[in-house]
Amino acid sequence: MNDADVSKQIQQMVRFIRQEAEEKANEISVSAEEEFNIEKLQLVEAEKKKIRQEYEKKEKQVEIRKKIEYSMQLNASRIKVLQAQDDVVNAMKESASKDLLNVSHDHHVYKRLLKDLIVQSLVRLKEPGVLLRCCKEDLHLVESVLDSAKEEYASKVNVHPPEIIIDDVHLPPGPSHHHGFFHHHAEAHGPFCSGGVVIASRDGKIVFENTLDARLDVAFNKKLPEIRKWLFGQVAA
Amino acid sequence: MEANRGQNGIQQLLAAEQDAQHIVNAARNAKMARLKQAKQEAEKEIAEYRAQVEYEFKKKVAESSGYSGANVKRLETETDAKINHLKNEAARISHDVVQMLLKNVTTVRN
Repeated sequence: MNDADVSKQIQQMVRFIRQEAEEKANEISVSAEEEFNIEKLQLVEAEKKKIRQEYEKKEKQVEIRKKIEYSMQLNASRIKVLQAQDDVVNAMKESASKDLLNVSHDHHVYKRLLKDLIVQSLVRLKEPGVLLRCCKEDLHLVESVLDSAKEEYASKVNVHPPEIIIDDVHLPPGPSHHHGFFHHHAEAHGPFCSGGVVIASRDGKIVFENTLDARLDVAFNKKLPEIRKWLFGQVAA
Repeated sequence: MEANRGQNGIQQLLAAEQDAQHIVNAARNAKMARLKQAKQEAEKEIAEYRAQVEYEFKKKVAESSGYSGANVKRLETETDAKINHLKNEAARISHDVVQMLLKNVTTVRN
């Protein structure tokens, strides 16, 4: 070969080397772009999914919280209404309780009532001997009807007239403490003894409270469903 | 003379190889840089997406809290109305109820 040929070949080889390098560089560049896009897409989609899940969860929590709050409001409202119902009904009982104090003012009527209450108590107890307690103020009236009450009971039930001892402890005018004699604890009756009697067997084991206050409690409880029905058109559970 | 020319040729070839190597390396470096960019650009897109989602979320929350505030008010008004009605009814029948109770207490069926 002559110099020119050698030179030419060298040039060709140089160009070839260069071309190969550039082709390779191009391939690398193209694959770089592809990998870039794939990588970016994967990263973005993965994170987007996480974010969506995160916010779905947040939304659910907000929903739940709202439901709970509303439920609490609803309950509070219901309780408020129930409380008002209770207050209203108890106010009526209070009013009746106050009016009871006037019952004993008409002595004629009250005397009759006392007798009837004593007879009723005797019938309930069916004891030959009893202890009677009343208000201090009623002592005279009670004593005055005691005998006719005994007679009425005796003829009604066909027994001998019972022995009635009037206890020297009187029904208290204030909030009551019932000690040993009465084995069960009575509710505190109003600020005053409104009237009526308490009758017990001699050993104090059987007690029948026939005071006006106790009778009011009984009447009230018995009539409560009816009263509630009048008021709210539903029967109490 | 020939040896000189041969040497020149080889040098040219070596230089070409070197250049080639540079070219390929440059491409490789560019690739690495590009891949790093993938992470950066992804993060940017993600942040934008998150901001968008957060905005929608807040909007929804504000809307619904306005709605439930109105609900609570409505509930309160209804409750007060119920209680008022109750009190009126009670006032209406109170006297009769008290009389009934008193009659019950003072009537003895023997």
